[in-house]
Amino acid sequence: MTDETATNDAATYSEKIQGVIDGSDVVLFMKGTPDAIMCGNSERALGALRRAGAPITAVDVLLDMQIRDELSAISGWPTIPQVFVKGELVGGADIVEDMERTGELEQTLTDKLGENYWDGRGENTVVLVEG
Amino acid sequence: MSAERLQGLLEGAFPDAAEVRVIDRGGGDHFEVRVTAPDFDGLSRIQQHKLIYAALDDPWKDGSIHELRINTKGTTQ
Repeated sequence: MTDETATNDAATYSEKIQGVIDGSDVVLFMKGTPDAIMCGNSERALGALRRAGAPITAVDVLLDMQIRDELSAISGWPTIPQVFVKGELVGGADIVEDMERTGELEQTLTDKLGENYWDGRGENTVVLVEG
Repeated sequence: MSAERLQGLLEGAFPDAAEVRVIDRGGGDHFEVRVTAPDFDGLSRIQQHKLIYAALDDPWKDGSIHELRINTKGTTQ
Protein backbone atom coordinates (compact mmCIF):
# COMPACT_ATOMS: atom_id res chain seq x y z
CA MET A 1 0.00 0.00 0.00
CA THR A 2 1.76 3.13 -1.18
CA ASP A 3 -0.06 6.38 -1.44
CA GLU A 4 1.73 9.66 -1.85
CA THR A 5 -0.12 12.67 -0.60
CA ALA A 6 1.37 16.08 -1.12
CA THR A 7 0.18 18.67 1.35
CA ASN A 8 0.44 21.91 -0.51
CA ASP A 9 -1.71 24.46 1.24
CA ALA A 10 -0.34 27.51 2.96
CA ALA A 11 0.23 25.86 6.35
CA THR A 12 3.72 26.04 7.85
CA TYR A 13 5.82 22.92 8.35
CA SER A 14 5.07 23.05 12.04
CA GLU A 15 1.31 22.93 11.43
CA LYS A 16 1.65 20.25 8.79
CA ILE A 17 3.84 18.08 10.99
CA GLN A 18 1.40 18.44 13.87
CA GLY A 19 -1.46 17.64 11.49
CA VAL A 20 0.18 14.39 10.37
CA ILE A 21 0.97 13.43 13.98
CA ASP A 22 -2.60 14.11 15.10
CA GLY A 23 -4.27 12.64 12.03
CA SER A 24 -2.47 9.29 11.76
CA ASP A 25 -2.48 6.18 13.92
CA VAL A 26 1.25 5.52 13.59
CA VAL A 27 3.70 8.04 12.15
CA LEU A 28 7.33 7.31 11.35
CA PHE A 29 9.51 10.33 10.66
CA MET A 30 12.44 8.83 8.82
CA LYS A 31 15.38 9.49 6.53
CA GLY A 32 14.17 8.42 3.11
CA THR A 33 10.97 6.49 2.42
CA PRO A 34 10.00 2.88 3.13
CA ASP A 35 10.95 2.07 -0.48
CA ALA A 36 14.22 3.99 -0.33
CA ILE A 37 15.56 4.02 3.21
CA MET A 38 18.52 6.36 3.70
CA CYS A 39 19.59 5.49 7.25
CA GLY A 40 20.19 2.35 9.28
CA ASN A 41 18.29 3.62 12.31
CA SER A 42 15.26 4.51 10.22
CA GLU A 43 15.44 0.98 8.82
CA ARG A 44 15.50 -0.48 12.34
CA ALA A 45 12.42 1.45 13.42
CA LEU A 46 10.58 0.65 10.18
CA GLY A 47 11.42 -3.05 10.53
CA ALA A 48 10.07 -3.22 14.08
CA LEU A 49 6.84 -1.47 13.05
CA ARG A 50 6.42 -3.73 10.03
CA ARG A 51 6.93 -6.88 12.09
CA ALA A 52 4.38 -5.60 14.61
CA GLY A 53 1.87 -5.10 11.79
CA ALA A 54 1.53 -1.36 12.29
CA PRO A 55 -0.36 0.89 9.87
CA ILE A 56 2.58 3.17 9.10
CA THR A 57 2.41 6.72 7.83
CA ALA A 58 5.96 7.62 6.79
CA VAL A 59 7.36 11.14 6.46
CA ASP A 60 10.75 11.75 4.83
CA VAL A 61 12.63 14.41 6.78
CA LEU A 62 15.42 14.65 4.19
CA LEU A 63 13.27 16.65 1.79
CA ASP A 64 14.01 19.83 3.70
CA MET A 65 16.27 20.46 6.72
CA GLN A 66 13.50 22.60 8.16
CA ILE A 67 11.18 19.62 8.57
CA ARG A 68 13.64 18.02 10.96
CA ASP A 69 14.15 21.24 12.94
CA GLU A 70 10.43 21.85 13.31
CA LEU A 71 9.80 18.24 14.27
CA SER A 72 12.44 18.28 17.01
CA ALA A 73 11.01 21.55 18.32
CA ILE A 74 7.58 19.89 18.60
CA SER A 75 8.72 16.58 20.07
CA GLY A 76 11.73 17.63 22.17
CA TRP A 77 13.57 14.71 20.58
CA PRO A 78 16.77 15.56 18.68
CA THR A 79 17.24 12.51 16.48
CA ILE A 80 15.60 10.71 13.56
CA PRO A 81 13.73 8.36 13.38
CA GLN A 82 10.79 9.32 15.58
CA VAL A 83 7.72 7.15 16.04
CA PHE A 84 4.36 8.51 17.18
CA VAL A 85 1.31 6.43 18.06
CA LYS A 86 -2.00 8.27 18.32
CA GLY A 87 -0.25 11.61 18.64
CA GLU A 88 2.21 10.55 21.31
CA LEU A 89 5.98 10.19 20.87
CA VAL A 90 6.92 6.56 21.51
CA GLY A 91 10.62 6.84 20.76
CA GLY A 92 13.43 6.36 18.29
CA ALA A 93 14.98 3.17 16.93
CA ASP A 94 16.46 1.97 20.22
CA ILE A 95 13.20 2.28 22.14
CA VAL A 96 10.99 0.84 19.41
CA GLU A 97 13.28 -2.18 18.95
CA ASP A 98 13.43 -2.67 22.69
CA MET A 99 9.63 -2.50 22.87
CA GLU A 100 9.35 -5.05 20.09
CA ARG A 101 11.64 -7.42 21.99
CA THR A 102 9.58 -7.18 25.17
CA GLY A 103 6.20 -7.35 23.41
CA GLU A 104 5.32 -3.79 24.47
CA LEU A 105 5.14 -2.55 20.89
CA GLU A 106 2.27 -4.84 19.93
CA GLN A 107 0.67 -4.20 23.30
CA THR A 108 0.84 -0.42 22.79
CA LEU A 109 -0.62 -0.74 19.29
CA THR A 110 -3.42 -2.96 20.60
CA ASP A 111 -4.15 -0.61 23.49
CA LYS A 112 -4.22 2.52 21.35
CA LEU A 113 -5.58 1.27 18.02
CA GLY A 114 -7.74 -1.66 19.04
CA GLU A 115 -7.36 -5.42 18.77
CA ASN A 116 -7.83 -5.50 15.02
CA TYR A 117 -5.19 -2.88 14.25
CA TRP A 118 -3.34 -5.49 12.22
CA ASP A 119 -6.02 -5.24 9.51
CA GLY A 120 -4.70 -1.78 8.68
CA ARG A 121 -1.05 -2.82 8.36
CA GLY A 122 0.92 -1.35 5.53
CA GLU A 123 2.64 1.84 4.60
CA ASN A 124 1.74 5.13 3.08
CA THR A 125 3.97 8.12 2.57
CA VAL A 126 3.11 11.73 3.25
CA VAL A 127 5.22 14.26 1.38
CA LEU A 128 5.54 17.54 3.23
CA VAL A 129 6.00 20.56 1.01
CA GLU A 130 6.23 24.07 2.35
CA GLY A 131 3.21 26.08 1.32
CA MET B 1 35.90 13.84 19.83
CA SER B 2 36.45 10.94 22.13
CA ALA B 3 34.46 8.47 24.14
CA GLU B 4 36.18 9.94 27.21
CA ARG B 5 34.46 13.29 26.71
CA LEU B 6 31.05 11.62 26.62
CA GLN B 7 32.00 9.50 29.60
CA GLY B 8 32.89 12.64 31.55
CA LEU B 9 29.69 14.46 30.63
CA LEU B 10 27.52 11.49 31.57
CA GLU B 11 29.35 10.91 34.87
CA GLY B 12 28.87 14.59 35.65
CA ALA B 13 25.17 14.46 34.84
CA PHE B 14 24.53 11.19 36.67
CA PRO B 15 26.89 11.24 39.67
CA ASP B 16 25.03 8.40 41.42
CA ALA B 17 25.08 6.09 38.39
CA ALA B 18 25.82 2.43 39.00
CA GLU B 19 27.15 2.14 35.47
CA VAL B 20 28.24 4.62 32.80
CA ARG B 21 29.68 3.01 29.71
CA VAL B 22 30.50 4.65 26.39
CA ILE B 23 31.32 2.37 23.47
CA ASP B 24 32.93 3.75 20.33
CA ARG B 25 30.98 2.25 17.42
CA GLY B 26 33.34 3.57 14.79
CA GLY B 27 34.26 6.65 12.86
CA GLY B 28 34.91 8.67 16.00
CA ASP B 29 31.33 9.98 15.98
CA HIS B 30 29.20 6.84 16.36
CA PHE B 31 28.67 5.88 19.97
CA GLU B 32 26.65 3.66 22.22
CA VAL B 33 26.03 4.72 25.81
CA ARG B 34 24.80 2.54 28.63
CA VAL B 35 23.77 4.24 31.83
CA THR B 36 22.22 2.68 34.92
CA ALA B 37 21.25 5.35 37.42
CA PRO B 38 18.63 6.13 40.08
CA ASP B 39 17.76 9.24 38.02
CA PHE B 40 15.81 6.95 35.69
CA ASP B 41 13.68 5.27 38.32
CA GLY B 42 10.00 5.66 37.53
CA LEU B 43 10.61 7.42 34.19
CA SER B 44 9.39 6.25 30.80
CA ARG B 45 11.99 5.32 28.22
CA ILE B 46 11.28 8.58 26.41
CA GLN B 47 12.00 10.58 29.55
CA GLN B 48 15.12 8.53 30.25
CA HIS B 49 16.52 9.09 26.79
CA LYS B 50 15.73 12.80 26.96
CA LEU B 51 17.93 13.04 30.05
CA ILE B 52 20.78 11.48 28.06
CA TYR B 53 20.24 13.89 25.18
CA ALA B 54 20.25 16.81 27.63
CA ALA B 55 23.52 15.65 29.19
CA LEU B 56 25.12 15.37 25.75
CA ASP B 57 23.71 18.60 24.37
CA ASP B 58 27.11 20.22 23.70
CA PRO B 59 28.61 17.39 21.64
CA TRP B 60 25.31 17.15 19.75
CA LYS B 61 25.31 20.82 18.91
CA ASP B 62 28.93 20.96 17.81
CA GLY B 63 28.45 17.92 15.58
CA SER B 64 30.75 15.61 17.53
CA ILE B 65 28.08 12.93 17.70
CA HIS B 66 26.71 11.67 14.44
CA GLU B 67 24.96 8.59 15.73
CA LEU B 68 24.07 7.49 19.21
CA ARG B 69 22.60 4.32 20.61
CA ILE B 70 21.14 4.71 24.07
CA ASN B 71 20.55 2.06 26.68
CA THR B 72 19.23 3.28 30.03
CA LYS B 73 18.13 1.54 33.20
CA GLY B 74 16.92 2.68 36.56
CA THR B 75 18.36 1.09 39.66
CA THR B 76 15.06 -0.37 40.84
CA GLN B 77 14.15 -2.00 37.51
